[in-house]
Amino acid sequence: MLEVQTISASYGSVRALEAVSLQVDAGGIVCLLGANGAGKSTTLNCISGVVPSARGRIRCDGRDITGWAIERIVALGIVQVPEGRELFPALSVEENLVLGTWLHRRQRNHGPEFERVYEYFPRLKERRKQAAGFLSGGEQQMLMIGRALMARPKYLLLDEPSLGLSPLLVQQLFEIIARMHRDGIAILLVEQNAKVALSVSEYGYILENGEVRLHGRAKALSEDPEVHAAYLGA
Amino acid sequence: MLISLLQAIASGVVTGCAYALVALSLVMIYKSTDVINFGGGEMVMIGGYLAMFALLAIGLPYAGAFVFAAVVAFMVGAAFDRVVLDRMLGRALPGQSVLVAMVIATVGLSYVLKGLVRVVPYTEEVRRLAPLFAGDPVFLGPIILQRQDIAIVVIAVLLMRAWWAFFNFTLLGKALRATSQNPRAAALIGIPVRAMRMTIWGIAAIFAAMAGILLGPKLLMTPDMGSVVILAFAAAIVGGFHNLPGCILGGVVLGVVQNLVGLYISSRAIVLTPFVVIMLVLVLRPQGLFGGAVVTKKV
Ligand SMILES: Nc1ncnc2c1ncn2[C@@H]1O[C@H](COP(=O)(O)OP(=O)(O)O)[C@@H](O)[C@H]1O
Ligand SMILES: [Mg+2]
Repeated sequence: MLEVQTISASYGSVRALEAVSLQVDAGGIVCLLGANGAGKSTTLNCISGVVPSARGRIRCDGRDITGWAIERIVALGIVQVPEGRELFPALSVEENLVLGTWLHRRQRNHGPEFERVYEYFPRLKERRKQAAGFLSGGEQQMLMIGRALMARPKYLLLDEPSLGLSPLLVQQLFEIIARMHRDGIAILLVEQNAKVALSVSEYGYILENGEVRLHGRAKALSEDPEVHAAYLGA
Repeated sequence: MLISLLQAIASGVVTGCAYALVALSLVMIYKSTDVINFGGGEMVMIGGYLAMFALLAIGLPYAGAFVFAAVVAFMVGAAFDRVVLDRMLGRALPGQSVLVAMVIATVGLSYVLKGLVRVVPYTEEVRRLAPLFAGDPVFLGPIILQRQDIAIVVIAVLLMRAWWAFFNFTLLGKALRATSQNPRAAALIGIPVRAMRMTIWGIAAIFAAMAGILLGPKLLMTPDMGSVVILAFAAAIVGGFHNLPGCILGGVVLGVVQNLVGLYISSRAIVLTPFVVIMLVLVLRPQGLFGGAVVTKKV
């Protein structure tokens, strides 16, 4: 279980998070919703150890990981797919993927990991020799998720994977996210697209100005009139 | 006339190979850390003195001197990053850039190395390294090459081949490239970005030091010999500063142009060559002679 307990974080004098708590069960799927600037990315970055949290604790499977170095957190199986197109543009698709195995590079054979990624994303196999910088937006998103899968995540943190994708691609992507969850990977999904996110999640949190405004089972949230008005449109 | 031209070109290619190694060192650091390393010339200089120390004081054979200089140079480069640059980055607030301060720190490095090297004997008088291979010169048709010249070309080419294979075919090499292309993404898959940066500084120092050993028998060795770095800067600028193969070619171009200037204009104009080349390229073709459009994105 991944537990975030009342963490706060700031950038200089700008307070970004105030006493945020949330929880992702092993094998669970949870979404974190909120408008632009609500603090969603900051929450993920605190969990990953990119941004230090000023207060509060972060625990994973009973261990207190607050303040750990990023690579130790990744080694524990908490892998973040950041927002945007954060690839190694001049390296090929295959090279981008193989770098995901960095932390268990001593095991020589990464065949099964490659197979798993190519099964989720057959498109990447077709393009494996191409430079990542030449992929389309959707393919780049797939490659980022694929690269994270190579690191053998137990908890996968996805930061706005639907950003900039066409509705059809978003639908396909969310089918794959649901499949990864069924295959046993716990998922913390950050989204502005509340409707699709709630449809695949079991539980949801809503952030507003760095604080958790509401949380509850995904079904209950999507029926909540307040959530409906603010995030799901008329 | 033609013979002296050919001779000038051939010996220009020889020194150009050594400049190319230094240019590679500079560009490697620039590409992965955005820092222009003004201590690059002093890394060349310590390479020469480390080899001299290994040959004369320790009594190692030449091969041993290369290894000794490479190991120590790696430690110097890596330690500079760890002790100075890494701390500067660590103290910066998010979003604050300490790049200018880091570049100034490399100027500091150059003075520190110039000062430290005087601890080693052999710096009070001007010396030369013993040539790698003594013996009669080799005749290539009408061109005369010293055995040392041939050794320079062969060793420089081998080093570049090794460098190329390392960065393209090993996982560590790919991780180093990945870190320079996108440090944030590299960190998020567990690549230790700080260790990678340190490694790049170490490898870059090795390349500069190797050039120092190759040039040591040709140049006069003094603690100020680091000024050759201006030729490497010119080579890197000719190559476009982002383009690694381009800066190797740039090194060779500089070596040849320098000799042609000496042959056709005046031997006193040789020292001006790199400055003139830098100005001309920056004004007429800032992307370098071999690049396409001006590159703004890191690749
Ligand atoms: N690197 C940064 N420097 C300064 N302020 C930042 C930085 N990153 C985010 N912020 C601020 O922190 C708040 C939360 O941002 P973020 O976590 O990126 O929100 P979200 O991901 O929900 O859009 C915003 O007010 C944003 O302006
Ligand atoms: Mg965000």
